[in-house]
Amino acid sequence: MKRTSAFCRRWLPLLLLLALSASAPAQELLDKLDDALFVQSPGGFFRTDLSGRLDLEGYYHEGNPPGLIFPTDNFFFNPRLSLFLDARLGEQFYSFVQFRADRGFDVGLKQHNGDARFDEYLLRWTPWRAGELNVQVGKFATAVGNWVPRHLAWENPFITAPAPYENVTVITDQAAPASPAAMLARRNIPDRKGAWLPVVWGPSYASGASVFGRVEKFDYALEVKNASISSRPSAWDATELGWSNPTVSGRVGVRPSAAWNFGASFSRGAYLLPAAKPTLPAGTSLGDFPQITLAADANWSWRHWQVWAEIFASRFDVPNVGNADTLAYYVETKYKFTPHLFGALRWNQQFFGKIPNGLGGEAQWDRNLWRADAALGWRFTRHVQAKVQYSYSHQQGYLQQGEQMVATQVSVKF
Amino acid sequence: MPTLGNPIVHRGWSRAVFTCAIAWLAGAQLHAEAIIEGAVTLPPPKGTAPTVRYQAAGEVAPPPVPVAVVYLEGDFPKPAAPRVLRMAQRQFQFEHAVLPVGVGTRVEFPNQDAEYHNVFSYSKTKRFDLGRYRMDETPAALTFEQPGVVRLYCDIHDHMRGAILVLATPHFTSTAPGGKFRLAGLPAGTFTLKAWIDEKTVREQRVTLTDGETLRINFPAPSGESQ
Repeated sequence: MKRTSAFCRRWLPLLLLLALSASAPAQELLDKLDDALFVQSPGGFFRTDLSGRLDLEGYYHEGNPPGLIFPTDNFFFNPRLSLFLDARLGEQFYSFVQFRADRGFDVGLKQHNGDARFDEYLLRWTPWRAGELNVQVGKFATAVGNWVPRHLAWENPFITAPAPYENVTVITDQAAPASPAAMLARRNIPDRKGAWLPVVWGPSYASGASVFGRVEKFDYALEVKNASISSRPSAWDATELGWSNPTVSGRVGVRPSAAWNFGASFSRGAYLLPAAKPTLPAGTSLGDFPQITLAADANWSWRHWQVWAEIFASRFDVPNVGNADTLAYYVETKYKFTPHLFGALRWNQQFFGKIPNGLGGEAQWDRNLWRADAALGWRFTRHVQAKVQYSYSHQQGYLQQGEQMVATQVSVKF
Repeated sequence: MPTLGNPIVHRGWSRAVFTCAIAWLAGAQLHAEAIIEGAVTLPPPKGTAPTVRYQAAGEVAPPPVPVAVVYLEGDFPKPAAPRVLRMAQRQFQFEHAVLPVGVGTRVEFPNQDAEYHNVFSYSKTKRFDLGRYRMDETPAALTFEQPGVVRLYCDIHDHMRGAILVLATPHFTSTAPGGKFRLAGLPAGTFTLKAWIDEKTVREQRVTLTDGETLRINFPAPSGESQ
């Protein structure tokens, strides 16, 4: 009886949303919303479109939660409403706002409270129609890598992010470790997600300015932002962290054909937050300890296949320790079996370099990880999608974090 | 060979008989043909703006001009040879807002852009997903067997909208920009003439067609302008 009620409490909201939104009247309503939610001036000079997503997610994991899932019960229910406002003024000006209401940017971050935020807001100037040059200011996703275009629930074949974007390392932005041994000691405790960092924190919606564009087969992007690509969401807002230690990132890409897209990215910027200042060695400042990242990405697609791959080599300059290097990569593929059914597989790995152990030798500064993700998705209509993901991960050593995880997600798009 | 007689005379007779037969057939054809002309008042275009949030966009054409499909409903013989039509994608838009086709028609979906398109439909009339294909690899044509509406989208370019209206009649046409139409080669009789604007907006009128007559029919907006 208890089991039945627990099952109902956990899965009923997802099933209810699925049943309601996939029904014919709901489809009609969603179709209407899709066409109706815009305002346009008579000649079309000004136009603004409102769209949105409702995502309901359920996570079940073994033991300590993996990745960027903050400590929760073994089962966690995560609803999220996202609203997008796209506005155009003539052919040269574009503005975008993404608003979210949920239980925190990352799963379980604010599990007992609701949270509402403007995750992205930007103003873009595009002087030429073909898009050779765009200048953009605001708070927006990073130009690094190729995951950003599919990071939202509807486009992502999985529910979680690839390992480089979510596997939390022992690097902290809060304080300098007292010694290499103090940093190495962190390897033996579960991730402190409120203090530690991954290589790239999700889509990294930090604040700043960028120039980007496309010229024939080539595309480019260069951005200056207030926080490093590994920085936590609370640091992305310009009101929380200024530009005294900016991060510069960029990407160049080439599309030799419609099927292929290759890119190379870099990023350099301070990852320590002002809270760490008192712990820094005398005579140093936050800007003296950057995160430097080089990355390469590729994607290929043809008919019903899509394949993406990225590799990141990142170096954190750690006060009192030296350089802490890590290499992370993943290969991801998606296949559409039918117009409704798709499947996806992803292989992730992360390796850690060595630092002095304080005893005259060297030791790996974190535990190597491999993780296999598999997902199945069903697109009921153009507005409703359901996914289920299973992940199996293994970290070097005895301490495991969410060795097995099952996640489900129902998304309604309008 | 008594019946043939002089070959030159025979050739002359044959030519005369053939000419008369053609003239008779042409006359009969002209007599059987009725025409309907008119105009459909179309709602203002909706259009969908392209999504350019996370990637630089190329040049996107304005959406195709909205049209109505005007067709004569009745029990007509099926055309002997199904046609092959095209619904191309060009400058990140579908070529037609609505492409009317007869039942059994094959439709090709050529990509005329340098980037991929992925045409799909979840409509009950025809569900399909062509996958990603580039300019020089047009996927095999699809056959539309069931009458109804097939809403078309592109899985890569969310703003692209198109439709195929599959009709169980051989007598149909699309309106020109501005709403004017001309439906020719119609048989005599009493039928229902319909103007399809979308699934929810189908205007209709009973018409009686007479050989050789041109009928003028307008489909004003429901608010009420008379024909």
